[in-house]
Amino acid sequence: MKEKNKAAALVKSIWHKYNFILIFLAILVVFLIINHGATTMTTLMNIPRHSTVIGIIALGMGLIILTGDIDLSVGSQLALVGGLTVMVFNNTNNIALSFLFAVFMGVILGLINGVLIGLVKMPAFIVTLATMLMYRSIAQTVMNSNNWTIYQLDAGLSQWQPLWVIGNQSVFQIPILVLILVVVVAIMTYLSTSTKFGKRVYALGSNERAAQLSGINVSMTRVLVFVIAGVLMGIASFLYVANVGSVDPATSGKNYELYSIAGVVIGGISMSGGRGRILGVVFGSMSFTIIDKIITALGLNPLINDTIKGAILLLAIAVQMLPAITQKLRKARTA
Amino acid sequence: MKILQMTDITKRFFGVTVLDKVSFDVEEGEVHALLGENGAGKSTLMNILGGVHQRDGGTVEFCGKQMDSITVKSADEAGIAFVHQELNVINDLTVYENLFLNKEILGKFRHLNKREMIRQSQELFNRLGVDINPTDMVGSLDTSRKQLLEIAKALHAEAKLFILDEPTTALNTEEIEHLFGIVRRLRGEGKSFIFISHKMPEIFEIADRYTILRNGSFISSGRIADITPEEVTRQMVGEGYVNQEVYEARKLGEPILELEGLTGKGFHDVTLSVHKGEVLGFTGLKGAGSSELMQAVFGAIPFTAGKLKVWGKPVASGTIHKAMKDKVAMLAANRKENSVIPDMTLLENTYCAEHTLSGRHPHIHVKREVAKYNKLKQMLNIKAESHEDLIVSLSGGNQQKVILARWLNTEAEILLLDNPTQGIDVGAKTEIYKLIQELAKAGKTVIVNTLEIPEIQKVADRCVVFYHGGVQAVLERSEITEERVMLLATNASAIRAEQGQEV
Repeated sequence: MKEKNKAAALVKSIWHKYNFILIFLAILVVFLIINHGATTMTTLMNIPRHSTVIGIIALGMGLIILTGDIDLSVGSQLALVGGLTVMVFNNTNNIALSFLFAVFMGVILGLINGVLIGLVKMPAFIVTLATMLMYRSIAQTVMNSNNWTIYQLDAGLSQWQPLWVIGNQSVFQIPILVLILVVVVAIMTYLSTSTKFGKRVYALGSNERAAQLSGINVSMTRVLVFVIAGVLMGIASFLYVANVGSVDPATSGKNYELYSIAGVVIGGISMSGGRGRILGVVFGSMSFTIIDKIITALGLNPLINDTIKGAILLLAIAVQMLPAITQKLRKARTA
Repeated sequence: MKILQMTDITKRFFGVTVLDKVSFDVEEGEVHALLGENGAGKSTLMNILGGVHQRDGGTVEFCGKQMDSITVKSADEAGIAFVHQELNVINDLTVYENLFLNKEILGKFRHLNKREMIRQSQELFNRLGVDINPTDMVGSLDTSRKQLLEIAKALHAEAKLFILDEPTTALNTEEIEHLFGIVRRLRGEGKSFIFISHKMPEIFEIADRYTILRNGSFISSGRIADITPEEVTRQMVGEGYVNQEVYEARKLGEPILELEGLTGKGFHDVTLSVHKGEVLGFTGLKGAGSSELMQAVFGAIPFTAGKLKVWGKPVASGTIHKAMKDKVAMLAANRKENSVIPDMTLLENTYCAEHTLSGRHPHIHVKREVAKYNKLKQMLNIKAESHEDLIVSLSGGNQQKVILARWLNTEAEILLLDNPTQGIDVGAKTEIYKLIQELAKAGKTVIVNTLEIPEIQKVADRCVVFYHGGVQAVLERSEITEERVMLLATNASAIRAEQGQEV
């Protein structure tokens, strides 16, 4: 009896901690069935490859949501940072410099959000709603004032080819983008689970007052979280440029705030903060990428895409809340 | 004529008897003071009358009618108005909207008849002599006016009996006089009041009769004119409290914490000197300022005037982190809101304060931390299985020990404990007293802020009694008796002095 209880408790704790992987695997199986024989190493590798940009953005979003805040401006940030990075590359023909610039711009934009939210103590929802409007419009204005219709990498430059390789080539069948994603995920997982800063983020999201009375500098922690999200934003924007070769402020990064939030939530991070795992975010994002592929494989109208994504999101949340729901039902019955 | 007669009221919570056959009555047109220490059963009795709790035994007769089962609604309809200690007004609505909430006057087209509601509000305020504009936002009113609005709300409901639960906590002397004026006028109109307060001068000013409860039992009842504040205090506290000895005399060191005229929000002009290895008790009524003073020493709230010296060095009105670097720690009151990080494990809860001091080394060495945690766990006798369990899975007493471990883990030398035994069982309380003694023996300086005087008697070398934000007295260990402290904390000694002058 006791053994049985122990086993049940173990299953429950594994489910509780790793349900994001199970959701991911379930969606993956559906994809493999639909695809039957046609699945190759390349199709499999395309899942993380197509999740790299949104995945890295979602990692930053995950950190922000862990503190109990939110960032609606990530899609617009991608358009602005990406667009300006294209300009820097076209003017310098220097990959390293373009990368550093992208990260620097990400930090600046993160700092603006962070200072307004952490130090001035404005609500994150409003601040990032405002910057969401501003950043995309700035990207469009700069483009327009140069009489361009799109930010396009200059293919005539000598460094264009190596940049394209970063964004599109593979090493031993593993796309370079995926290698970069793995490194970033490893760093972020370490940061969130094994450093004092990571614990501070969780403490802040779980009980801000208690965190403050424990000596944690709540304001600075908030600022720092947005700056880290900015660094990730810079990396993601650079990879987007390397992958796509151009940035269209009207469409690039559109709805990315929603997709990244959805990835975070499917990854098992609580919207009220303090609870969840950064690792889950990657699986949450990849789950969404597979849904895209399923829709393509089935030859469905792409317009139905968001309907299915929304439904999967609701389903995933319902599954995660299952223990809480059954507990409530049980309580209602005994009461 | 009796308006209320409660007979043999019994109430049990989870098998624990909190009211044992208590009888209580109120005459028409009187102010009746209901007295007792914290936990004596006053609130439970009033919550039964107001329909918040259901009684397990006894009868309630109001205006000559038996009330079988009381609900909040039926109490309201019968004419019992409960003015709660916490303000129940809605800040984002106007005064008249609050007054008429859920009782709105409607016009022909089921629309709100605002003009009529404003007119009636104004009439009510005129009658009460309250200068509140019915169209003001409630959020813009000061606390005392909100309190008066709360009372006006009860009056508006045409109540016959008012329960005022510590109504003066938020008011200054002038406002208290004003409130008492209103109470007297209404008493003249035949309304009755049950008045709950810990402040002796107020009770002796306004009340006609009193009833004293202690530990859930009826102790005595009578006319205020026939009793003295000392006698009231003696009966509230009771005699024959057995003092389990955990105290040991120790040699104290040099002054480690010095306050000179320290002033801030809620406390003023506090001058104190605390020695190394000393255990100092802070006490006073709720809102007397001792908790705020502690928070100011810890840097959680600012002080506006005066000097604070730690280890002989002056400290600016600063930040928590700076206080922690000076080896000051504070176990905050209200464990759930201020201390517990519910989504974190026992280990993480033990380390979250230490991490801010050792932030220069960002990597967490789990093995080292677990070893230290196990030591603290053993020392504090924390009953828990794995260090990976969530803190919320523990009982209140064990949670508090984990929070204590959090602060001992910072190697603090000065421990400020704000209401450390709040909501924990007797066994854990005794353990915490013992621990305080042991820490002091090991040379730590401990300040304990508590409303429970027996706790201070158990451990303290000296006791500081606060009243209205100021230090009323500093008592040596031999002078700490419950009666003496209560007299000082309720400022009952002031009345005696006044009476003495009049004679």
